[in-house]
Amino acid sequence: MSRKGVGLAAFDRSRLTSAQYASHGSNLRSSNAAALETQLAVFRSLLQQFAQTHAKDIRSNPTFRAQFARMCAAIGVDPLASSSSSQSSSNAGGSIWAQLLGRSVNDFYFELAVRVVEVCGETRGENGGLIELRKVRERIMRGRMEGASEITEDDILRAVGTLKPLGSAYSIIKVGSKPYIRSVPKELNTDQSAVLEAAQVLGYVSVSMLMANLGWMRARAQTALEDLVGEGMLWVDKQSDEWEYWSPSFMLENYDATGTAG
Amino acid sequence: MSTPPPPINQPSSSPTPFSFPPEYSFPPFFTRQTNLTTHHAQLIKWASLVLSYCRYHRIFKLSLSGNGTTTTSERDTTELFFNRKINRRLSLPDIREVIDFLRKDNRAEYVTSSSSFSSTNTSATGMDGTPAAAGGGGGGDIVWIYWRTPEEWAALVESWVDATGQRGSVLTVYELVEGDGTRGTEFHGLDQELLLKALNVLVKRGKAQVFGQEDSLGVKFF
Repeated sequence: MSRKGVGLAAFDRSRLTSAQYASHGSNLRSSNAAALETQLAVFRSLLQQFAQTHAKDIRSNPTFRAQFARMCAAIGVDPLASSSSSQSSSNAGGSIWAQLLGRSVNDFYFELAVRVVEVCGETRGENGGLIELRKVRERIMRGRMEGASEITEDDILRAVGTLKPLGSAYSIIKVGSKPYIRSVPKELNTDQSAVLEAAQVLGYVSVSMLMANLGWMRARAQTALEDLVGEGMLWVDKQSDEWEYWSPSFMLENYDATGTAG
Repeated sequence: MSTPPPPINQPSSSPTPFSFPPEYSFPPFFTRQTNLTTHHAQLIKWASLVLSYCRYHRIFKLSLSGNGTTTTSERDTTELFFNRKINRRLSLPDIREVIDFLRKDNRAEYVTSSSSFSSTNTSATGMDGTPAAAGGGGGGDIVWIYWRTPEEWAALVESWVDATGQRGSVLTVYELVEGDGTRGTEFHGLDQELLLKALNVLVKRGKAQVFGQEDSLGVKFF
């Protein structure tokens, strides 16, 4: 404890201490990691147990599925994200849900995503690649067999999320308060969004409606409408007093009205 | 040998009316869309509507101005291109565009005026009073709508002949269309002229031979 040695032994000693520090540090680290690993394993097994006992519910009950997904999100686990690159666990990778549930829930979303892509593709000609989330759900539900489990808009949102690795083509945008799926890589400007939002009310808008309600000049209204027609996102009806520009999503609305009446 | 009596079987008017697709109550559906992609989507929808409407009512020849002619009844088909509820109407030029779209797909064909079988009552003015005799691109007023093409009808007839073991036998065309033997088959009540088109397909393949005069046409299957 007196003055540190001046001799050659001092070098040895410092080497020794630093080696001890290092070994101690690695000990600590490994025990920490081990503790974390046990925790994770416990958590994993619990989650697995939970998922397995409730697998049927997760698959068949949309509310339950949404809650489960929300729970996973809350604890920082993206159930759909592939964890194969990091943490090469005994399982061959794939998302946590895939590991937990033998792929079925994961596949559920991938299959749903395929349906979403199909619906968007089928309807792109008529709606310019912008379709209300609710419509997508309706179309998918209509195509499903009797007795097939119900799907929610939440499921579809999640399914669209799984398409992210494929590029930015598929995304969710909000027009007004309603979520839409956009399947063309195109941004709407604020005027266009405003027009689409206005068209949600009655199904259509006209130049004078835009002028009256948004306080726009005629030219501005005309331009916004023509742009949207040019994008294929509105349809023109020239058989009214003033040309009306209709949102193609109203094709299905009417269907529901007459369908239930008849 | 005698002229066929007027067909007595009732027009297949089912109790449930034809259910129009959602786009039928969508006003812009009746206006030609300016955007090319949208217009294409519109044509596809119209084409499938025309086909399913004609299939439902068993309309073989459609009058563009409104009077559809089936073999058994004159049906007012104005509603096909005119939705009264929303007061929207597809204009004749636009209708022709739909027909042309169908023609490209071999799902429609203008009836040539020389046809001798068609009923004489093809009033040339529809409800809207549009003159239907527009010339130009071979556009008459009456159009075959092939919700089954002659080839498809031919296949049906052929498989029926096979199933009933009538290869080598002679049948009259009238028997095929109105006879009890074909009751229940899809081509029972088929427009005679269309049936002849179908039979001609078989003739070309060497599967049948048609002979006789207009009123007493016979056909032999090989």
